[in-house]
Amino acid sequence: MEHATLAMLRERHPAWRLLASAHAPLLASFLHRVFVAPNVRVMNEADLAEALEDELYALREQIGADAYPKAASEYLNDWAAPDKGWLRKFYKPGTDEAQFELTPATEKAVAWLLSLIERPFVGTESRLLTLFALLEQISDGTEADPVKRLDELRKKRDALDAEIARVQAGELPLLDDTAVKDRFQQFQQLARELLADFREVEHNFRLLDRKVREKIALWDGSKGALLDQIMGERDAISDSDQGRSFRGFWDFLLSSRRQEELAERLDRALALPAVAALKPEPRMRRVHHDWLEAGEHTQRTVAQLSQQMRRFLDDRAFLENRRILDLLRGIESRALGLRQALPAGTVMHIDAMGAEIELPLERPLHTPSAKPLLAQLALEVGADEIDTARLFDQIVVDKARLRSAVQGALRRQPQITLRELLHAEPLRQGLAELVAYLELAHADPGSDALGGLRAVVDEAVQEPIRWQAHNAAGETVTRQARLPRVIFTR
Amino acid sequence: MNDPLDHDLALAAAPSAAPAAPELSQLLLHLLKGVLYREEDERLWASLLRLQARVREQAAVLLLDLVQDEAEGHAFLKSRPDPDEAEGAPRLPRLVARRPLSYPVSLMLALLRKRMAEFDAGAGDTRLVLSRDEIAELVRVFLPDGTNEARLIDQVDATLSKVVELGFLRRLKPTAGSGQTARQERSHYEVRRILKAFVDAQWLAEFEARLEGYRTALSGSGSEPGAAREATDA
Repeated sequence: MEHATLAMLRERHPAWRLLASAHAPLLASFLHRVFVAPNVRVMNEADLAEALEDELYALREQIGADAYPKAASEYLNDWAAPDKGWLRKFYKPGTDEAQFELTPATEKAVAWLLSLIERPFVGTESRLLTLFALLEQISDGTEADPVKRLDELRKKRDALDAEIARVQAGELPLLDDTAVKDRFQQFQQLARELLADFREVEHNFRLLDRKVREKIALWDGSKGALLDQIMGERDAISDSDQGRSFRGFWDFLLSSRRQEELAERLDRALALPAVAALKPEPRMRRVHHDWLEAGEHTQRTVAQLSQQMRRFLDDRAFLENRRILDLLRGIESRALGLRQALPAGTVMHIDAMGAEIELPLERPLHTPSAKPLLAQLALEVGADEIDTARLFDQIVVDKARLRSAVQGALRRQPQITLRELLHAEPLRQGLAELVAYLELAHADPGSDALGGLRAVVDEAVQEPIRWQAHNAAGETVTRQARLPRVIFTR
Repeated sequence: MNDPLDHDLALAAAPSAAPAAPELSQLLLHLLKGVLYREEDERLWASLLRLQARVREQAAVLLLDLVQDEAEGHAFLKSRPDPDEAEGAPRLPRLVARRPLSYPVSLMLALLRKRMAEFDAGAGDTRLVLSRDEIAELVRVFLPDGTNEARLIDQVDATLSKVVELGFLRRLKPTAGSGQTARQERSHYEVRRILKAFVDAQWLAEFEARLEGYRTALSGSGSEPGAAREATDA
């Protein structure tokens, strides 16, 4: 904590710079809501920009139209720029859209800001117990003397025996509410911190990767020594402290017994009234899933990094790369010399990526469009069996039949409504026939469609008309239509 | 009346009469047409691994060599170098065209190759994506001082399209949410890793030699500016 170090940190460390930034409230609240709270590891540009656009809109409504003048995507790119380093922008294989993720520095700054917001109370007991347990693990786990080890184990057994005896005697010591709250609060905090740590773990893996690459790129020794170095570094990532600890965590969490145990205990803890009174976030119940998800993401990053590393360490590619960088230095200095007189015409050649085989005969020749003259076609009798039934299956409503039905009815009486008519003469072709009747009713009086008859439509009265029809399954169903009253007269 | 029936029979029989290696044919045709990327067709890549020797054999007939990069996940066919004129061997037509490159295109390819080498040395990401402005920035230093901004951008755009056409850059699809107005300025390009296979040490060495040739021609022809520079250099 020297002045110079802190001055440099303030200058350079993204977390501190975030806190000092005028945009800190926007940054921290937005990134917390989008990434930290729902445990989102990666988000694509369009979704993130949209979320930020909404946030900016709401803020402008609240504090004034000129609060945050830039567009969401500009802010995002700004925050991902190397001099800010609050977001990491990258392109995943298989998508053209940029992806964003939080940098560990941002996560830290957000976590610190969260800690400023007061907790209901600060439990100290559980922390002390945790510290004790840790020390115990260290001393037990490093004790090489079997006598002492056995001593320790017997002591633990005696303590357990004593506890068993007390419970058998009906004496059940229970944690009081405060102790439960204290412990749960610490659990909650550690669970969240663990999630945040994954980002840092990933970040450290990236740093390791970069260090190895730099070392190799700057390598100036013999090829043999280089190969030694390469072999030594090949597992630099997974064999680092970081790598081992992460693998330990991962193996532990992946065991299904552990998972069930965790889920069961979490459920029981959350059901306790004292814990419920703390109003834990609903996500807490699934926190082990969040761990798994975050861990998987880290796992993938590590796998990807080591694959990339293998590619980079490919001996041949490495030596070629060095030669290429040498050549490029030469090219650049010569190109600078040619700045005022750029070479014209063809300078270099490069092979195409494939053979463009264009066979002349593959090209379609001009074909004049022929107008088929059907009139001159002689029809031939075909031997093919064609199902002609479909041609005749279409509904044709015989209007003459309908007209004669109306005329027949009007011979007996001066006028008849469509409804009465259909009662005596039910529809045989369903809706199509009904429409045909309406067509008759609306025919121009001058035309002979009705054969000298007239029809009046009374818009004021609605009449239901029912008929029997067949549905797709062939069953008989009753259908109904409502239409204004139609009256046919002589 | 029997004719159509016979025709149908002939059609049905045809596939079984052909040599029974559709996989090999598919591979060769794909490779003849262009680069095979593992991530674009895993299945075809797997059959290439299996049928490698036969593909080489078949390609050799056409004077082509199979170049396969397992680590990068791409494969393509490359023309064998032309036989020496001295040997008197007849020159055969090239199956794979050699594309002429102008100076700006050649230079951009070299600079992109450099950017990729640096990218590989610095980070574990696989995909190098550059914005148009970043690419313009790469080139800017090597253009005449007087070039104004608009002309520079025009020239960079023209060169970019040429490099996209050659297959070494891929224009990313613009994202839905961003840049309705300034789409062109914000467009991003992925430098395809196949660039490594084409712009290799040999190609770059040749480019360097050409540039050296231009330089000596410029100063040797006694033209004023060249001579003047030579003098100040010394």
